[in-house]
Amino acid sequence: MDAYLPILILLILGLLFAALSFVASTFLAPKKKPTAAKIAPYECGIVPEVEPPSRFPVRFYLVAMIFIIFDIEVVFLYPWAVIFRQLGSFGLVEVVVFAAVVFVAFLFLISNGAFSWGPVVRLTPGVPARTSSSTIARISGRPGGPVTAAGVPVSTGTPGQAA
Amino acid sequence: MTLLANNENPLFVHGVSWMVLLIVVIQAVVVFGALMISVMLMIWFERKVISDMQSRIGPNRAGPFGIMQTLADGIKLFFKEDLQPEQADRFVFKLAPYLTIIPAFLAFAIVPLGGEVTLGGHRFYLQLANPPMGILFLLAMSAIGVYGTMLAGWASGSKYPLLGSVRASAQLISYEAAIGMTVVMVVLVTGSLTTHDIVVAQATHLWQWNVIRLAVVPFVIFFIAVIAETNRPPFDLVEAEQELVGGFVTEYSSIRFALFFLAEFMNTITMSAITVTLFFGGPDGPVPHLGGFWSHLLWIVPLLWFLGKTIAFLFAFVWLRGALPRLRYDQLMDLGWRRLIPLSLGWLLIVAGFITGGWWGTGLTAAVVVSAGLIWRAAIVGARREDTQAILTPVGRRLWRRPGGSLPQAGDEGSGDGADEVVGGLDARGGAI
Repeated sequence: MDAYLPILILLILGLLFAALSFVASTFLAPKKKPTAAKIAPYECGIVPEVEPPSRFPVRFYLVAMIFIIFDIEVVFLYPWAVIFRQLGSFGLVEVVVFAAVVFVAFLFLISNGAFSWGPVVRLTPGVPARTSSSTIARISGRPGGPVTAAGVPVSTGTPGQAA
Repeated sequence: MTLLANNENPLFVHGVSWMVLLIVVIQAVVVFGALMISVMLMIWFERKVISDMQSRIGPNRAGPFGIMQTLADGIKLFFKEDLQPEQADRFVFKLAPYLTIIPAFLAFAIVPLGGEVTLGGHRFYLQLANPPMGILFLLAMSAIGVYGTMLAGWASGSKYPLLGSVRASAQLISYEAAIGMTVVMVVLVTGSLTTHDIVVAQATHLWQWNVIRLAVVPFVIFFIAVIAETNRPPFDLVEAEQELVGGFVTEYSSIRFALFFLAEFMNTITMSAITVTLFFGGPDGPVPHLGGFWSHLLWIVPLLWFLGKTIAFLFAFVWLRGALPRLRYDQLMDLGWRRLIPLSLGWLLIVAGFITGGWWGTGLTAAVVVSAGLIWRAAIVGARREDTQAILTPVGRRLWRRPGGSLPQAGDEGSGDGADEVVGGLDARGGAI
């Protein structure tokens, strides 16, 4: 455990630094009672009316779960890497099998679109995909914009053009 | 176990005496002070270099060349109000800066700074700590750092910090897997986890540096992943000020804000040092023949090599910030999951194959190329599936089935401003966050 002694001392120094800076800040900072506007959540000057969301797109949870697969793989790889030369070709074959299993899972995830975070390119089946150029064409009213299933060009639908 | 004997720091061979403790404390204080000063200089360096790249002058008032500007900014922050938003979870809000700064301090302890030194009959490495877990300690510390970021955003009770911290958590864990796998490759060729052994294995010849032994690719993966892990541009989506104000630090002021930024720059320095350690031989470099009086200064040469290499990487960090625009979130996830992680896994197998034997390596290279083709095919299938099963909000479906197919105008019956609702549907799918 001797090897961890310097880390312990550095930990103490770091804690001391953080604690002392808080003490210094307490003495030096202005002691006015903050106004209600100051301690309200910051929203660029708008008075917050809605609570912060408690729901997130499910993709974030998905990423967290997929991460566990790869992190466990990495955890297994470290001890293997340290004694790799003693294990020889047996160790190599074992890790190739292990990697293949993870790889099949990875292929499954990709082919189900688990990592597609991009914007939606198609709102409905059967219509051409949205691209940067199609959006520009739609906004400027030029041909080449998206069409509906009936082949009629989609208007922008802005109130200005409607009038 | 010869493996363990090699790992031991020669300082602790005869147990811990008062003299040894004194040396350790002095080492810790020196490392601590050097880290603080280098953070100060790094912030100044970054501002100066970015200014030059943008044809500005940058800080030039406080001290010569504005070098004391960071100190002035730091002292200013002590005199600022320490606000706590009323919606905040007070305990976690106060805890989060500690959780960020302490791992940032500790991670630097395992970096080998130089060779061996003898002082008062005690031989020791110019490296604060050389624990048997070695490089795993760095990964552990950077994993704890994620908690600081995550809890800071969650505890603020405000929208922008929350969005910033959700993004941050997903980004940090995405690139952690890539970092882990590239470090495995270094451990594979070294056969040891300790940073001291990793550096010793790369000594004496340029072509023994891991960047050449592992054929550059792992270094590139590691460096990209490290930039993402430290939230540096072009991966600074966590604190993208144009969309998220200040990200997870929006509600922090005064000294707590200062601690977050101290931690960020400290992580940048530590990661540059770790890149040098893992791939560029650490303090390795040609040492000139010094005779007579100068031989007492021989120990300083490796230290200078180490500093030079680290500064080169710090410059690269700043350069990338000056040169590249910020990534979009889907590009970030795509780069991490669909490119870096499979590439690092494949490269790991190739490296392991060639260590075992030439035929193993050739066979595995072929297998990896085939696997890359499979991933490509899977991506196409995934994209097609997304096309055919386009996720439609009820509003969107209703819009497209209207006779004539035009979007409803404002004031139309029922659906109100249809265009906005479609955009809202996109948001709900996660594209906008």
